[in-house]
Amino acid sequence: MAEKKLKRAIGSLQPDIDDILSWNDLPENAFEPASAAEKESFIQDRKSVSYWKDAWRRLRKNKVAMVAMVIVILLALFAFVGPFIVPYSYDQVISGANNIHPWHYSLEDQEKINAYIEEHTGSANLSPEEAVAQAEAEAAARGETLSAVDAAKIRAAAKANQGKGEENVTQDDAIKALGIKAKPFGYTNAELERMAAGESVFPHVFGCDTQGRDIMVRTMIGARVSMIVGICCAVIVLVIGALYGSVSGYCGGKVDAVMQRIVEVIYTIPEVLIILLMGSTLKPIFEEFQNSGDGPLQRLVTLLGANLISIFLTFGLLYWVTMSRLIRGQILQLKQQEYVTAARALGAQGGRIIKRHLLPNCIGQIVTTTFLQIPSAIFTESFLSFLGMGVSAPMTSLGSMCSDALGGLNSYPYRLFIPAAILSLMILCLNLFGDGLRDALDPRLKK
Amino acid sequence: MAEHEKTGKLLEVKDLHVSFFTPAGEVKAVGGISYDLDYGEVMGIVGESGSGKSVEAYSIIGLLQSPGKVIGGSITLEGEDVLAKSKEEMIALRGSKVAMIFQNPMTCLNPVYTIGNQLIEALKAHDKKVSKQEAAKRAMEMLELVGINNVEKRMRQYPHELSGGMRQRVMIAMGLICHPQLLIADEPTTALDVTIQAQILELMKDLQKKTHMGIIFITHNLGVVAEICDKVSVMYAGKMVEQGPVDDIFYKPGHPYTIGLLRSMPRVDAESYERLIPIEGTPVDMLNPPEGCPFAPRCESAMKICLQKMPPYVELEDGHRSACWLRVQEQLQREKQGAAETKEVPEHE
Amino acid sequence: MAKYVLKRVLMALITLLVVICLTFFLMNAVPGNPWLSEKTPTEATIDALNAKYGLDKPLIVQLGKYLENLIHLDFGNSIKMQKDRPVLEIILTMFPISASIGAIAILWAILVGVPLGCLAAYRRGTWVDSLLRVICTVGISMPGFVIATMLLHVFTGGIEGIKFFPALFKGTPESYVLPCLALGFYPMCYLSRQTRTAMLDAINQEYIKTARAKGLRNGKIIFKHALRNALIPVITYLGPQIAFTLCGGFVVETVFTIPGLGRYFVSSISNRDYPLIMGTTIFLAAFIIAMNLIVDLLYKLVDPRINLGKGGH
Repeated sequence: MAEKKLKRAIGSLQPDIDDILSWNDLPENAFEPASAAEKESFIQDRKSVSYWKDAWRRLRKNKVAMVAMVIVILLALFAFVGPFIVPYSYDQVISGANNIHPWHYSLEDQEKINAYIEEHTGSANLSPEEAVAQAEAEAAARGETLSAVDAAKIRAAAKANQGKGEENVTQDDAIKALGIKAKPFGYTNAELERMAAGESVFPHVFGCDTQGRDIMVRTMIGARVSMIVGICCAVIVLVIGALYGSVSGYCGGKVDAVMQRIVEVIYTIPEVLIILLMGSTLKPIFEEFQNSGDGPLQRLVTLLGANLISIFLTFGLLYWVTMSRLIRGQILQLKQQEYVTAARALGAQGGRIIKRHLLPNCIGQIVTTTFLQIPSAIFTESFLSFLGMGVSAPMTSLGSMCSDALGGLNSYPYRLFIPAAILSLMILCLNLFGDGLRDALDPRLKK
Repeated sequence: MAEHEKTGKLLEVKDLHVSFFTPAGEVKAVGGISYDLDYGEVMGIVGESGSGKSVEAYSIIGLLQSPGKVIGGSITLEGEDVLAKSKEEMIALRGSKVAMIFQNPMTCLNPVYTIGNQLIEALKAHDKKVSKQEAAKRAMEMLELVGINNVEKRMRQYPHELSGGMRQRVMIAMGLICHPQLLIADEPTTALDVTIQAQILELMKDLQKKTHMGIIFITHNLGVVAEICDKVSVMYAGKMVEQGPVDDIFYKPGHPYTIGLLRSMPRVDAESYERLIPIEGTPVDMLNPPEGCPFAPRCESAMKICLQKMPPYVELEDGHRSACWLRVQEQLQREKQGAAETKEVPEHE
Repeated sequence: MAKYVLKRVLMALITLLVVICLTFFLMNAVPGNPWLSEKTPTEATIDALNAKYGLDKPLIVQLGKYLENLIHLDFGNSIKMQKDRPVLEIILTMFPISASIGAIAILWAILVGVPLGCLAAYRRGTWVDSLLRVICTVGISMPGFVIATMLLHVFTGGIEGIKFFPALFKGTPESYVLPCLALGFYPMCYLSRQTRTAMLDAINQEYIKTARAKGLRNGKIIFKHALRNALIPVITYLGPQIAFTLCGGFVVETVFTIPGLGRYFVSSISNRDYPLIMGTTIFLAAFIIAMNLIVDLLYKLVDPRINLGKGGH
């Protein structure tokens, strides 16, 4: 009977039909009051995770950001550990290594190529200067000297013959004709000979530049400069911005008004223009200071390099504005929140309020903004270096390497594209990781 | 306004299940609720935030946002299955048959367009043939109807130039401009000042009488419900725990949660020494809903069975149902006392 | 409104003054002097030269004199690069080339970037969105010179068989293509990203819910309700972008050897031609500040929420 009556309840709340059917055989004690402990255990509490753990979980789920992070770590290893592995230094000129490509031909192949070229090219095709030089050498061997008239004759003859030879064979033609394949990595001939003698020689993976400096080690150093600049600038921006912003936001009133006017002026200054100007003018100022004596400050300048310091200073002076605005905004917003008012009403002091209430609430945004400052600083530094106003020779950076490579772009495109690719990859991955960081640290922003 | 007053069922919701598929897992925002609404009837849906009352309303009008999905049950509006409708049909339905107004009139009007523009747009969306002058005329009539004066000037104003109460009136005008049969009002007074709240409620009551439309009034405020509703559904953690005519709910509440809600509500006629009694504890985690009654941990008269099984519906009076083991217990006791005396609940669907 | 405009103009003038002073003092703090490369000048020659160009007076006096001249639009004469030619004249012959390249670049960046951003927001979560996001993130991660040199290498004969454009700038229409392309790429990607964010932001606003509840079609919701709101913040990004594009011109002009103001500015710095450096800096700074001011005022006009009668917030 009870069954019949209860079955008709309309819909929704019964979890299961069987439940209703079995509802006459409820346990004896079903209607006894439940104890508090029972109630307590009833709620399956989700494990409360700390903010950072939660953020890390979100970050780990973001595949793009994780891949970017791995690449950034690899690039950092490349930049910081790499130079210790490669036995060349960035300013070491390797004899005979001028302009070597990142590939080489074995000594036998080279002989074959030379033989092929010689075979197919007569001396008639010597350039006038070469012809004269050859004649001079021959004359010297005979113990005579070549007269100026003779030299002029030979030069004229060579000029007339030029381009008339049977075939003008270049190395490329020879390689094609012989079907020789290039082997990876660059070696100088001297190194190849040493290798033939059983010595192990570290290859020039990316070749060498016009002065015979190993490009790979230069790229590593360049990447290291970029990363140092990025990190230092981010720290400078964070420190200045956070201090300025929190003082301005916390004090409020007239102090805030004056400080904000200053910020507004700096904000509207055309940054790039001033950076260019400062980058170029601060450098000689520091250089002079560096040469002015031997105090601890001077030594510090020497240690860091005048140009790097000028870059840091430029960034420090201009880029903190955004950070300070952000922090001020956060503080103003948080100042009005009830829990801060509550904390204040309970007698908490200013410093404690900042530490316990304000910081935890805007830490996510601060971390993200600081981190995203790194790629932006690298970006700007490369721009400066490219225009020849960043770090100066023999020190190098990715930007100045690109600038150096501009001249021989058509013959040695890789000299530009290797540093450019590493630079772009670095900025890209830092940006992607920064985006991931923002999504992870500030879930409210995620769409 | 309403020339032909219809009677009978306007809306029927049966065993509706809505889930949000979040990365952390499935959140059963609405776990099987049923009710029906007649033409010209006003129903209140009451519950605290997160109880699923808005989600339930959004599924009627097809506005559920992406991770949310209706996974079971049916919604029938004027005999038509709403859930089976195509996207196009839903667009045609929204605004014309069913209108919705939202909680915060400050953010619900587009700040860059004039009031007139937004009103006319609502009309034109469903009546393509209407001329500009005609549309403007009807928009102004509508504004007058919701008690806005100086309408010609208002038509040219931007939302930020109006007060909150005024904006909510505009929202109502916009909702009613196509004469919908059903108006869903999602906490329309929550964001307003108390005096303005009363005005808006008065207006809605008035308009309801004039237009004979059905209203679903979502709120967490029982006072508002008493003011305007014919019947009430009380929701807790995605479940409908009690449902009935407004008087029954107020004077003979059958669920401890409803009782708690009533006790926590300030009353004008209360004796001075009476204190408001809050409901202790926090709502359950919707990611891991417990086996038994979701309210059990906060319920002062919770029993062992409450923690194990979801209680079934018990019909207390005609149209007044409650899902609580206490009521089941009472019913069983009554049965034991004498089967003959037990009132048979007539079978109906 | 008038008060607001006045305030902004005043602010801009102060900024300009700060730039002028900063430039002036920086310039003078640099060790060495412009006569160093002259063939071993004697002390007397240097003194005479300093006296001639007024470099022997105290800095403050020099600054005052300079400011006074500036009011009469007298930027002084070049002392090295093009000896004794008025700086203003040099600027005015060089600037049009830089400005036209910059204008074309920013124009195509807007015309392509904003619609792409809308497209990405409209098709969010699909492959179109992902593809655009990859392109734009790569785009804002590549320094200008990388794009410029890549274009230079690929399209001017670096790869066999492909030589569409001249490697050297000749002033002909086809020699404008690559520089403008290179210069506009970054702002295009940047604007596209900002538009996408702003669109998504707008789409999540409550008034979009209202529009949907009204029964409007998707297209109308996106293009009428979301876009108009999304464009307002995008306008604010335009100001800095214009400035950036102009300054990015330094690199592009160097790579494509364009005789523009940017390249000249860079070489005037390394040549320490003080009046030229100051003139160029001040001119460009004034231009950028004016651009920012215009964009800023434009923004206030577009957004009806800003009450023009009461001077804005």
